[in-house]
Amino acid sequence: MNTISYDEQTHITRAIIKAAVMMLEFGAESKLIEQTSQRMGAALGVDSVEMSLIPSAIVLTTLTHNQSVTTTRMAHHKPINMSIVFDVQRLCIELEKKKVDVQTVMERLKNIQPNYYNRWLVVFMVGISCASFAYLRGADWVAFVITFLASSGAMFVRQELAKHKFISLLVFAITAFVATIIASLSYVSNISSTPSIALSASVLLLVPGFPFINSFLDAVKGYLSMGWGRWLQATLLTLATSMGIIFAMSILNIKGW
Amino acid sequence: MNEIILHYVLSALFSAIPAVGFGMVFNVPKHALKFCALGGAIAYTSRLALLDLHMPIELATFLASLLIGTIAVYWSRKYIVPRPIYTVASIIPLIPGTFAFTAMISLVDMNSHGVTPELIASFIENGLKSISILGAISFGLAVPSLYFIRYNRPII
Repeated sequence: MNTISYDEQTHITRAIIKAAVMMLEFGAESKLIEQTSQRMGAALGVDSVEMSLIPSAIVLTTLTHNQSVTTTRMAHHKPINMSIVFDVQRLCIELEKKKVDVQTVMERLKNIQPNYYNRWLVVFMVGISCASFAYLRGADWVAFVITFLASSGAMFVRQELAKHKFISLLVFAITAFVATIIASLSYVSNISSTPSIALSASVLLLVPGFPFINSFLDAVKGYLSMGWGRWLQATLLTLATSMGIIFAMSILNIKGW
Repeated sequence: MNEIILHYVLSALFSAIPAVGFGMVFNVPKHALKFCALGGAIAYTSRLALLDLHMPIELATFLASLLIGTIAVYWSRKYIVPRPIYTVASIIPLIPGTFAFTAMISLVDMNSHGVTPELIASFIENGLKSISILGAISFGLAVPSLYFIRYNRPII
């Protein structure tokens, strides 16, 4: 059996935890993070990989037959980005198929770039998505158009705020405020017969559905602290959005959401 | 009869659009977007069909997300792509966003305008609805992967 030197094992541990932190930050579920790290560890030649996951950090240990290396990394949550999760997972599968040395793995991880869509395309698509939700709830065409305007305007504001690195709670509250203000156009001189649908559908771009689903999935699979953490995060985002809606409604003096 | 078919086709179309739109917000890779559209349409239309059979919404949501979770396992093994990439956008049309916001808004209303039985009822009804639908979605998604977890085997 060929032994791994301490230095080499440190490099391996660093590469694995870098991959794990990227997956945690960009919104992968805990089971996927654990599995990917363990498979990368096996492919890079350590005996086992043990990890402790909490919402804001990862502690990870690699074991070989006579030594262990442990390291910790903080994780700062970023907007969900599935293309990065996909790239890390693809790297892991490639590692299993052919032997790649640690330096190359580290290089590959550093070079992973998010695949951003054109921002105006995203603005348009999110607008039309929320308008579709309004249609599915039975809105008339005036409410459909107003929902489209409100949520694409809100998405534009959200992108601008995210660009200037505001914290996500503030971004959600302000975006909900803007969406509700624009959507309240449907109340003006009764142009729409379903104004409340426009109001409620235009803020659907802010539903933190993915953190909620992830929190349930984590809890079901036995990662209870991660489940609670994500649950709290999602609840806070929902609360922030509601505050934005309520503030806008009290300014415009609209009753009954 | 034709009207019913048209209704289903339109629902499928208008639920595929949000799946793609939110897939873009979550930066799903380009080649997976068409599967997201298909998944969103399947999820929403199957739930609609089950609701038309007078099934309660929680059970209908559970079965719809079980269906999409199973299909996503098949896709993910076929194209070697992690399963969340498909499921994350496909379940978007099922998420009970309005219920969750209504619950939170009635909670804040209770604080600012005083507690009334209507507000308490609205908070509890909408909160329970949103939690049970969310639970149904995630349990439906989790069941296919729990099948693979038994021997700690990864899906792909």
